[in-house]
Amino acid sequence: MNIVATAIVGTMVVAVATATAALLVPRPARSAVVGVGTALCGAAGMAAGIAALAGQVWSAAVAGLLPLAGVVLTVDTLSGVFLSVIGAVGIAVGIYGIGYARHGLDGRWVQAMEPLFVAAMLLVPAAGSVGTFLVCWELMALTSLLLVLAEHSHRAEVASAARWYAVMTHLGFVAILIGLLVLTGHADNDSFPALRVAASTLSPTTAGLVFALTLIGFASKAGILPLHAWLPRAHPEAPSHVSALMSAAMVTLGVYGIVRVGLDLLGGGAQWWWLLVLALGAVSAVYGILQAAVGTDLKRLLAYSTTENMGLVLIGVGAGGLFAAAGNTLLAGLALTAALLHVINHAAFKTLLFLAAGSVLHATGSRDLDSLGGLRPLMPGTTAAFGLGALAGSALPLGPAFVSEWLLLQALVHGLAAGGVATAVMMPIAVATVALTAGLAVATFVKAFGVGFLARPRSEQAANARESPPTMLAGMGVAGVACVVLALTPVLVLPAVGGASGRVFGTTDPVSAGLLTVRLQGFAGSLAPLLVAVTVVAATMAVAVLARLFAARHRTRVSARLWDCGAGPLSARMEYTATSFAEPLQRVFDDVVRPEHDVDITHYRESRYLVNEVSYRLRVPDRVEHRLYRPVLAGVRAWGRAGPRLANGSVHLYLGYGFAVVCGALILLVVTR
Amino acid sequence: MRGLWRKIRQVGRVAEPAPSPPAGGRVGPAVELAGSVQVRHVDAGSCNGCEVEIGSAFGPVYDAERYGARLVASPRHADALLVTGPVTRNMQRALRRTYEAVPAPKVVVAVGDCARNCGVFAGAYGVAGAVADVVPVDLDVPGCPPRPEAIVEALRTLTDR
Repeated sequence: MNIVATAIVGTMVVAVATATAALLVPRPARSAVVGVGTALCGAAGMAAGIAALAGQVWSAAVAGLLPLAGVVLTVDTLSGVFLSVIGAVGIAVGIYGIGYARHGLDGRWVQAMEPLFVAAMLLVPAAGSVGTFLVCWELMALTSLLLVLAEHSHRAEVASAARWYAVMTHLGFVAILIGLLVLTGHADNDSFPALRVAASTLSPTTAGLVFALTLIGFASKAGILPLHAWLPRAHPEAPSHVSALMSAAMVTLGVYGIVRVGLDLLGGGAQWWWLLVLALGAVSAVYGILQAAVGTDLKRLLAYSTTENMGLVLIGVGAGGLFAAAGNTLLAGLALTAALLHVINHAAFKTLLFLAAGSVLHATGSRDLDSLGGLRPLMPGTTAAFGLGALAGSALPLGPAFVSEWLLLQALVHGLAAGGVATAVMMPIAVATVALTAGLAVATFVKAFGVGFLARPRSEQAANARESPPTMLAGMGVAGVACVVLALTPVLVLPAVGGASGRVFGTTDPVSAGLLTVRLQGFAGSLAPLLVAVTVVAATMAVAVLARLFAARHRTRVSARLWDCGAGPLSARMEYTATSFAEPLQRVFDDVVRPEHDVDITHYRESRYLVNEVSYRLRVPDRVEHRLYRPVLAGVRAWGRAGPRLANGSVHLYLGYGFAVVCGALILLVVTR
Repeated sequence: MRGLWRKIRQVGRVAEPAPSPPAGGRVGPAVELAGSVQVRHVDAGSCNGCEVEIGSAFGPVYDAERYGARLVASPRHADALLVTGPVTRNMQRALRRTYEAVPAPKVVVAVGDCARNCGVFAGAYGVAGAVADVVPVDLDVPGCPPRPEAIVEALRTLTDR
C-alpha cells in the first residue's frame, strides 16, 4: 500500500471520526477537536498530493460502496496539485477555526460539516469515474451550502445568499451531469480511462457539446463571468474560515474540472473551446478586479478578487489549450504551469486574506471598510497578515503572484509566434488584460489595507478592536509562511507543477528551476525570485538608512501641530474612505461599472435657502447581474404566476390534462413506431 | 478657443508699468526670503473690502506676481501671512494656529485699518483686538480699504524687487 492510498484513506477516516466527535463532544472542547481533526484531514490530503506529485500513481475501485457504479479513485499528478492545495488550505483553516468557531459557530452540525467539507473537496480530484466524481462534487456542494448557512439565524442576508448559491451550484451540477453523461454514453463504462478511449471516437459536435456543458458547470463553480453571481453573495455571508475554504480551495476545483475534462478526458479538442475559455477568463479577470477596486465591503472585495484570479488562471488554461491545438505542446505546458502555479499562489494568499478579514470581522463586527481603520496598533498580528496577503495578491515582487503572473505573461508573449490568426489577435489582448488586472489589483489592495487598517479608527467598534486569540493568529501564520515560501522559493513547487502540466500535454517539464533561478525550457527567459526579493529589500533598506542619516544632520527635532485649517482637531471623518479612494477609478470606468448616485436634500420649512439635511447614497451594482439575471428571474416569476391558472382546482380540467397527455403519448408512439 | 485667442490679441497687455522699487530694503525676517515670497491670505474678520483690493493687486492690472509675490493655498506653503480685518473672537485661535503653521522665517503683513487698530470695529463685542494683539506684525498697510498700489508696495518691500 503506497503513501497516497494511506493518506487518502486516512483523510476519510479522520474526517468521519471528527464529524462524529463533533456531534458527541460537549461545546467547550468541540471547536478544538474539530479544528485539530480538520487540520489533520488537510495534512493527510496534502501528504497524498505531495506523494502524487512525486510520481506515485494510485487507483482503486470499491464496487459495493455506491450502488450500480461503485467507487473508483484514481490519483495522478494533476490530482496531486489540487490535493496539496486543498490539504494545505485545510490545515490553515482547521487551526484558525479552533479560535474562530468559539463565537457562535460551535453548533453541533456546523462543526460536523467542516471536516466533511474538506474531505469532500479532497475526494473530487481523487475521483476516477464519472459516478464517483459527481457524488463527491455534490457532497462538496451540500456540505459547503450548510456551512454558508451557519449564521442564518443572525442575519437575514445569509439565507438569501445561500439560496443564490444553492440554485447556481445545482444548475452548474446539472450542466456537468448532462455533459459527462453524454460522454459516458459513448464509452464502455464510466471510468476515466474508458472515457479517454471514447473521446477519440466522438464527433467534433458531440465533443464540443460535452465541453460546453461541463464548462458551464465548472465555470459557475470557479466564479467565472457571467456565472459569478453567487460568489460575491456567499463569500461575505459565510463564516470567514469557510469563505477561505471556498475561495481558496473549492473554486479551484472548477479549474480542475475544466483541465481534467477538456485537456485530459477529451484530449484537447478544437481551437474555439480554448478561445472561449481564454475570453471568459480575460473578461472575468478585468471585471472581477474592477468590482473589487470600487467595492467597500472587505469580504465582498476579496470574493471579486477571487473571480479575477480564477480569470487569470483560465487565461493560462485557455492559452495552454490553444497552443496545444496549434501543436506547440511545450508552450502549452508553460501556460498550464503558470495557471496551476497561480492556483497554488492564489490559494495561499486568499486563505491568508480571508482569515485576516475574519479576524477583523471577529474583532469589530464590521466588514465595511468605511467604518474600519486604525487597526494597526490594536491588532498588529492581523494587520501584518493582511498586509502580507495584500502584497501577495497585488502581483508585485516579494509576493507569490508575481512569479506566476510573470510565467503567464512569458507564455502569452511567446505564444504570439505559435501560429494562427486567432492566436495573433488574442495574445496581445490577453497580455493587456493581465497587465491591466495587475495594476487594478495594486489599487484594490492598497485601498483594502490602507483604509481598513491604517490611519485612525472610523467607528466605535474599530476603536475598541482587540487582537484575535493565538489559534487564529497561528492559522494566519501557516498561510503567511506558505505565501513567503512560494514567493521566495517557487523552486520548491515549480518542478512538480511543471511536471504535472507537462504530463497533461505529454511533453517534458516546460520550466527548469534551479536553486535560485526559474528558467523557461526552449525560450529565452529567466527569473530569480530570491535575488529580486533581496534586491528590493536591500534597496529599500538603503533608502531608509540614507534618509535616516540625512535626517540626523538636523540635530534639533521640531515638532509641529498637524495643519487642520485652523479648525478643531483632526477627526476620522476627514480621512480618505474606501469610497473616496476608489472614486477616480470609478470615474475612469464609469461606463463599465455604472455607479448609482442618489442625493436627497431636505430644506427647512421656513426657507428654501436653509438646508436641513443632505443624504448621499452611492451604490455600485453588479451590472452583469442586472442585465442578465433580472430578465431571467422576471421570466421565472411570470411563469410562476401563470402556474396557478393551469391548476385552478377544477377536477374537470385535471381530467382533461390526463386525457390530453395519454392521447399525446399514444399519437407519439404511433408516429415514431 | 479662437475667440479667446482673438480676445487676448485685441486686449494686449493691461499691466501698468512697474514703478521704481521701494527704497529701504526688506523688512524684518523677509531678508532671508531671497526675492520670492509665497503669501497666504487670512481673513480674520474683514468686511471683504480689503479682499477686493488684494484680489485687484494680484489681478492683471497691478500684477503683484511679477515682483515675486504669489498667493498660495496653505500656510504650510507660505512665507508671509496677509491678514485682513479686526481679529474676531472666532478667528483668534485660527489665526494663531495659522501663524504657527507657517514655517520660519515668516512675515506677517496687516492689511487695512481694521487689521492695524480695529478701525471702526474698535471696542465691538465680537472683536478680540488688532492683528498685532494676536500675532507679531512686521508690516502695516494703512487705508480703508488700502489701494492696490499700497498693497503691491508693501509686498515689494518683502521681495525687494
